[in-house]
Amino acid sequence: MADPGMNPGLRVSGLDVSLGGRAILRDVDFAVDPHSTLAVIGPSGSGKTSLLRALAGLGGRANGAIEVDRRRVDALPAHRRGIVYLNQEPLLFPHLDVRGNIGFGLRLRHRSASRIAVVVDPLVAALGLQGLESRDPLTLSGGERQRVAFGRALAVDPAVLLLDEPFASLDPATRLSMQTLFRQVARDRGITALFVTHDLKECLRVGDQFAAIRDGRCRVYPGRAAFCADPANGVAAEIAFWSDAGTSLRRE
Amino acid sequence: MRRVSNIALWTAFLAPVALLLVWSFAWRWPWPAPLPNRWRASAWTDLAATGGLGAAALRSLGIATTVAVVATGLGFVTSRSVAEARAREALQWLLHLPFALSPVVLGVGLEYSFLRAGLAGNLVGVALAQGILAYAYAVILLSGLWTARVGAFLEGAATLGATPRQAWTLVLLPLARPLLALCFVQTFLISWFDYALVLLIGGGRVATLTTSLYQFVQSGDLRLAAASALLLLLPPLVALVTQAQPRPDALAGEPDP
Repeated sequence: MADPGMNPGLRVSGLDVSLGGRAILRDVDFAVDPHSTLAVIGPSGSGKTSLLRALAGLGGRANGAIEVDRRRVDALPAHRRGIVYLNQEPLLFPHLDVRGNIGFGLRLRHRSASRIAVVVDPLVAALGLQGLESRDPLTLSGGERQRVAFGRALAVDPAVLLLDEPFASLDPATRLSMQTLFRQVARDRGITALFVTHDLKECLRVGDQFAAIRDGRCRVYPGRAAFCADPANGVAAEIAFWSDAGTSLRRE
Repeated sequence: MRRVSNIALWTAFLAPVALLLVWSFAWRWPWPAPLPNRWRASAWTDLAATGGLGAAALRSLGIATTVAVVATGLGFVTSRSVAEARAREALQWLLHLPFALSPVVLGVGLEYSFLRAGLAGNLVGVALAQGILAYAYAVILLSGLWTARVGAFLEGAATLGATPRQAWTLVLLPLARPLLALCFVQTFLISWFDYALVLLIGGGRVATLTTSLYQFVQSGDLRLAAASALLLLLPPLVALVTQAQPRPDALAGEPDP
C-alpha cells in the first residue's frame, strides 16, 4: 500500500480507457510505490492489456491523469513517458544479436559503445546471459528470449516498467525461475513495476501491492491479506483445492 | 523425394540456359545431331561488334534501376497507407489491375495520353509506363510488411525511447530490408524483361536489350539471339544469387530452437 508520505512512482487518477468507442475500464485509481511491484490480476479480456497500453501511450483512448514520479505524462507520446512496456511475446529485434538488443535503448540515446558496455555487461551477468551475447535472438529458448527482453527494458533505467503477462508462454519450470529472477532483479535495482497476469500464484509471487480488474473496474487492495481475503480473487478456492488434494494423497 | 524435386527444379531452370549457351557457341549443328559438330565464339564477337547493343544494354540497366528504386521507395511508403486503409481490399483489387490488363493492354491504354503529354518515344515515358506496373507490384508485395507484429516491434521501440524517426531507421528499415531487397529485384526484372511497353511507348525510338534481342530473333540468326538472350539473363541472375534471402521467421514469429 502506498505510504502517504512517499511520492508514488506511478499514480493513476480517474482513468477511463476505451477502445474503438467501447468503454474498457472506468475510473481507474491507484498508486504504485517507488521500487515496488503492483501485481494486477484479471481474467482474459478484462482490460489488463488495455490498461498497460493506455499507461504506455500506445493507442486506445484514455482520459485521466497519469503521473510518473509526480510528472504528468498522459499528454506525452510513448517515447517521452519513461514507461517501458514489456510484451507477452519478447519481440527481440531479429537484426540485432543479444548484446545489441539489450543495448538498443542506450543506442537510441546516443550512448558511446563503452558506456553501453558499462550498462549491458552487468545486466548480462545479472540475467544469466553470459556466453549468449553474440547469439541471434531466434536461436534462443523462450526463457532466454524473455530474459533478453527484460534486460533491454532494464538497460534504459525506466521510471516505470509495465509487464504484460511476460511469462505466460513459458513452461512451468522456466516460468517459476523467471518469476524468481524478476523479484530478485526488481529488488536489487529498485524497479517500479506494474505486472499484469491472470495467474494467481504468479500474482502473489511477484507483487508487493495487489489489484484486480473485473467488470471494467480496477480494485486496489490495502495489502496481501486483503487481496487473499477477497473470495473473488480465488485464493480461498485455491487453498481449499490443494488442501483437498493433500488429504486425498495422504489417504492413498 | 526432396532431392529428386531439387534436381528437377535445377534441371528445369538450367536446361534452357544450357541450350542458349550451346546455341551461342554453335557454328554447325546439323539435324538430328544432339550437339553441334563445329564450335565458334563468333556469335559473341559479332555481338560485341554490333553497333548500339552496348548502349541498349546500358539503357536497359538505367531504366530498370530507376524503375526499381522509385517503385520500391514509393511502394514502401504508400503500402502502409494501403494496408491500414478501411478500403484496403478495394485498393488492393485496384492495384492488381495493371497485371490483369497485361503490359500490352496497359501500353495501348497509356499510349494516347503519353503521346499528348510528350512522353511517347522517349526514355522518361518508357520508365514511367513500366513504373506504373512495377509500383503496383511493389505496393502489393510490401503491403504484407505491415502486420500487427511489426506494429508491436515499433511500439516496443517507442516505449524504449525511440522517436518516430528512430523507429523507422533503427527498427522498421532493418526489419523490412529482406522484403525491400526482394521488391527491388522483382521490380527491376519487370522493367528489365519488358518488351511491350518499350515498343508501344518507346515507339521504336527507345532501343533496349529486349528490343535488340527481338530484332536478332526476327533476323533468323539464332546464334546471335542466343548470345543476346544470355546477356539479358545476366543481371537478373546476379541479382537473384546475391540478394539477401528474406527470413520469414523474423517477422512471422520466434520459433523454439
